[in-house]
Amino acid sequence: MDSLTKVFKKEFSKKKVVALNSLTLDIQEGEVFGFLGPNGAGKSTTIKILLNLIWPTSGTVSIDGKSAAHKSVHELIGYLPENPYFYDHLSARELLWFGGKSCNLQNTVIRDRTEKLMQDLDLTTAMNRPLRSYSKGMVQRAGLALALIHSPRILILDEPMSGLDPMGRRKVFDLISSLKKEGKTVFFSSHILHDIERLCDRAAILINGGLKRLITVRQDLQPGLTLEDVFLDEVAKSGGIRE
Amino acid sequence: MNGVLSLASITLKEGIRNRAIFGIFIMALLMFAASIILTNLFMRDIIKVAADLSLATISFSGLLMIIFIGTNLLSKDIDKRTIYMVISRPISRAEYVLGKFGGLCLLVLVTTIFLGIVSSVPVYASSLIYHNPQTIFVWTTYITAIVFIAMKLMLISAVIIFFSSITSTSFISLILTVATYIIGSTNETVKGILDAKMEGVHISPPIAAIIKTVYYVFPNLSAFDLKLQAAHGLPIPAEYFLWTPVYWLLYTGILVTMACLIMTRKEFP
Repeated sequence: MDSLTKVFKKEFSKKKVVALNSLTLDIQEGEVFGFLGPNGAGKSTTIKILLNLIWPTSGTVSIDGKSAAHKSVHELIGYLPENPYFYDHLSARELLWFGGKSCNLQNTVIRDRTEKLMQDLDLTTAMNRPLRSYSKGMVQRAGLALALIHSPRILILDEPMSGLDPMGRRKVFDLISSLKKEGKTVFFSSHILHDIERLCDRAAILINGGLKRLITVRQDLQPGLTLEDVFLDEVAKSGGIRE
Repeated sequence: MNGVLSLASITLKEGIRNRAIFGIFIMALLMFAASIILTNLFMRDIIKVAADLSLATISFSGLLMIIFIGTNLLSKDIDKRTIYMVISRPISRAEYVLGKFGGLCLLVLVTTIFLGIVSSVPVYASSLIYHNPQTIFVWTTYITAIVFIAMKLMLISAVIIFFSSITSTSFISLILTVATYIIGSTNETVKGILDAKMEGVHISPPIAAIIKTVYYVFPNLSAFDLKLQAAHGLPIPAEYFLWTPVYWLLYTGILVTMACLIMTRKEFP
């Protein structure tokens, strides 16, 4: 990401809101990167630009050397949106079939991966049920399975722990740990600082659309200094949060 | 291509499992059953009445189905942000439109085949109960009429997809589609009155220009109506089978292409 700026115009008043302000970030292959910031800091906006859902007002994004707008880039990415909502009448199995087919996977590969993912994410018994009968945590896990079905090299997860109970959170935590061991690049936003501290190699603190601090977790966090301390300190230094 | 086909497939599944479709099917079945009873009220040409009512039922049920399901198709995806799940995959915005339109067309195809088969029961029953050797009824014309109803419904699906790409509010796209349907079903008759130049009837030039513009801009849906030919066993001119599908293909193609272009320029914040 190079000097990413995103300005939204309000529909009626035409008032401009700067959601991102010259954000430059370089994420290395194979690292787990935490993206944190208060609500409205620009985390989801950054993720949406990475996925070509919205376009930057200025600046560029490249993934694996190609522009984020390039269709083939999306085969490398698995994405979990914040509060995912899927088609009501489809089952998790059908959702994963769609995910696999859209990435040109063979039916046999899709079937095998679906079985494995459903087992890993504790959804085996519910995989043929319509998604509308799922609890919030189950929908979140189905979304993770969809993000992983094509075995992507890069995972972009927007608040993957949000709305999960402690068991669900543990499951997602273990999953991200295993992805890290497999050498995948994981870029995720979260408000749960303790999880970021334990999982991430590096983390960025974003406040009011600007990058405030880049932290190498093992180097910068000394005993007695938690990520929460650093985060709250940065928020205080930036003079609070823009409404 | 896999993205378009897989999206069309899940759109079809979503559509078929929608509860609204069950209600529409029950209504259609009741109308088919009622057509057997209603034909009793007529003294002759009973099979013609049964065929006319059955074709009208297929057309009306199909219209209700695509309006209920189609108008929510894109707007619900955008509103609930389900679209993120689709276009974050290797599916372009244009392919998303094509997949959704393809799914809606498959739904039209499946439901018209189903309703077409069911509709043949009251028509066949009428021909047995009120057998009249003088009545001319051609089953191939009846089947052709069903095929053209399916084409009309697919064209209306393209209208829905086009309006849904402009506005993400399903109610607005519903209103615009219904208005287009009403104009499209009547514009040929209105143009016919204009062209007839009836004595004593003066149509001002601006009104005539508006009528002509509306006639060429809006789809001519009455071109797909073969109820009269099917009911009376009338022959269909050979050129009809060439020009009506060409018109259908062009009109549908233009609408879907415009929807693709509009979506390609759309952001999803």
